[in-house]
Amino acid sequence: MNAWIAIGALAVMGVGIPLGMMAVSALLRPGVPEQGKSATYESGEIPTGSATGIQFNIQYYMVALLFVVFDVETVLIFPWAVIYQPALASGVGLATVLLPMLIFIGVLVVGLVWAWRQGAVKWVSSPRAARQKTERS
Amino acid sequence: MVPPQYYLVLAAAVFCIGVFGLLTRKNALLFLMSVELMLNAANINLVAFSYYWGNVTGQTFGLFTMALAAAEVAVGIGIILVLYRNFKDVDVTEAATMRW
Amino acid sequence: MEPALLQADQLPTWTALAPVLALAVTGLLLLVIDSIDPNDTRPTLLAGVGTVGALAALGLAGWFLSAGTGQPSTNGAITLYGDALIVDGMTLFFQALFASVTALVVVASYDYLRGRAYQAEFYALMLFAATGMALMAAANSLAVAFVALELASLPSYALVAFLKRDTGSVEAGLKYFLIGALSSAVFAFGISLVYAATGSLLLPDVYEALAGDLTGLTGVAGVGILMVAGGFAFKTASVPFHFWAPEAYEGAPAPVSGFLSSASKAAGFAVAFRVFVTGFPLEAGVDWVLLFQVLAVVTMTLGNFAAATQEEVKRMLAYSSIGHAGYALIGLAAFTGAAGGDVLGASMAHLLVYGFMNTGAFLFVALAEHWGVGRTFDDYAGLASKAPVASVAMSVFMFSLAGLPPFGGFFSKYFLFMGAVDAGFWWLAAVGAVNSALSLFYYSRVVKALWLDDAVSEFELGSTPTALYAAVVFAALATVLLLPGFGPVIETAQSAAAAIVP
Repeated sequence: MNAWIAIGALAVMGVGIPLGMMAVSALLRPGVPEQGKSATYESGEIPTGSATGIQFNIQYYMVALLFVVFDVETVLIFPWAVIYQPALASGVGLATVLLPMLIFIGVLVVGLVWAWRQGAVKWVSSPRAARQKTERS
Repeated sequence: MVPPQYYLVLAAAVFCIGVFGLLTRKNALLFLMSVELMLNAANINLVAFSYYWGNVTGQTFGLFTMALAAAEVAVGIGIILVLYRNFKDVDVTEAATMRW
Repeated sequence: MEPALLQADQLPTWTALAPVLALAVTGLLLLVIDSIDPNDTRPTLLAGVGTVGALAALGLAGWFLSAGTGQPSTNGAITLYGDALIVDGMTLFFQALFASVTALVVVASYDYLRGRAYQAEFYALMLFAATGMALMAAANSLAVAFVALELASLPSYALVAFLKRDTGSVEAGLKYFLIGALSSAVFAFGISLVYAATGSLLLPDVYEALAGDLTGLTGVAGVGILMVAGGFAFKTASVPFHFWAPEAYEGAPAPVSGFLSSASKAAGFAVAFRVFVTGFPLEAGVDWVLLFQVLAVVTMTLGNFAAATQEEVKRMLAYSSIGHAGYALIGLAAFTGAAGGDVLGASMAHLLVYGFMNTGAFLFVALAEHWGVGRTFDDYAGLASKAPVASVAMSVFMFSLAGLPPFGGFFSKYFLFMGAVDAGFWWLAAVGAVNSALSLFYYSRVVKALWLDDAVSEFELGSTPTALYAAVVFAALATVLLLPGFGPVIETAQSAAAAIVP
């Protein structure tokens, strides 16, 4: 049961310390309400509009999608990377170990080239964005 | 060592949270998140029992479910985007021009 | 003339996967062509490449099947990649089915897609889905079953929602996707429970472990098996995951509906047959035969009764496709262990015949959509006088689907019901026969509308789409020719099914 006591203690500490710090600071700090404090923080810029209901350009979605797909495909490379050295050491031919991964990457490259040629990663400025830019300057 | 039954209970709990979210939410995006929870419940089982049985089959398959979950979300978001364009909403009950 | 010998001795074993590879490479090739020419300026080339790829897969599967690759006549089943994949008679039988349906649908899509954007993507998605289906038939591990099922499903979601400015298509895609995502999560959780109880994902090992002592994890294995059945129920459009089917088939482009309702459904059955027969022993865990008996009866009754009340032809076909899933489920519902190969084989043969007649029926609907004649039974009135050849073909499909004697559908149903009777489940056959009688009512409504009713208003059919027409006629020919050719089909199917029974 010793292991459980350690976990319990860790949990108590983990919850207790932040709560305690917030409580202490709430007791000690002076209350000076000010408009600048309650405003949304946008890296020092003065916030404009509301945070909900903003429509992002569809191109963010395309790039994000490509990122997610390729990001997650790397997890499939992990098991291969783990067995790569031991397999070579145990005398399996280089082609047998390397070729499947090259084919895998090759399939991904075909997909990427296709997405590229379809203009998924081409950053065209929309007419609306161009108009806003000219209005602002 | 934590007995394997605990992992089964944990996974079942996560799975049930996913099912609950799926049944109560109308937003297509929340629906997707609920499905992710259910898939991760399967991953908990796979990883825990991979350790229990002493083989890496479960862990490796867990990686495959993660990759497939991502692919599923990618297709799903695409469909939700065209849903939004056609129905101006991501409420799954809005799209009901055909009878269920 | 020793192709079998030549193959077993000289070709490396991975070439047994040639049908799958042909489909996958064709899909990638289409993407490459689309990368070189992103504007789809040569639709004939795209459709041609897709057709050639599908026909190559069909030819390879047919050659292997006749040469005896992976069958008892040579060295038995070929297993690859640490036993994760298996190539035997059943694999090749289903791969031939998927490849022929894919070829039909690709040819028909050439006319359907005329003037639309994203043609290359359409064909590529279809071939990737076909690759997934061919892999499903070759799965010997629950991991491969899951990955292949997803590979078949993900392109299908996109194909259903292909007409992205059409609310019906988008709605259909959404519902298909939502239920598909749900059922794949259920399927994955079921697999994880089976793994928890047995410690392996390979079907033969799972079989051994379930037949042995489970050390108190029997309940876990039982729940896991139930959830795995749920995943297959989605793919085969059977109760309880059938809700998507009428919506998806009605909203999707008609060639896609035909593709999904025959090839995709057959793929679900291919993997379900393999997983349940070779992975889950009858003695241990849950009595899954009872489960499938309930599902079969509910599915066929629900599908047929719902189909009888429809006003739209496409939706009627969708519900009838649920009904046919119920018939095919008899293969598992009347499975009795060692002697179960016969009824399983009859179910496979039914799926093959169904593949042709149902795809053909949906392609006729595509033809009607191409002409813009409307969707209901009344809209089809008097079509026979304008398009007699296609109407004859449609009548063949309808009577064959109903199971009337002079067509392919009669024999497959006959063998299926006889198999159920032989296995001692005469009541399953009786329910099936009653349902078939009911189905004759709504199928004949289409034929009556085509031939006997007068057109409500005068209308002109536009040009004759050659490729679509050819696909419809070819499907009808196949349905008729399966009548004299049914002997070899049922023999192949039953010996293939008998070979997998452990």
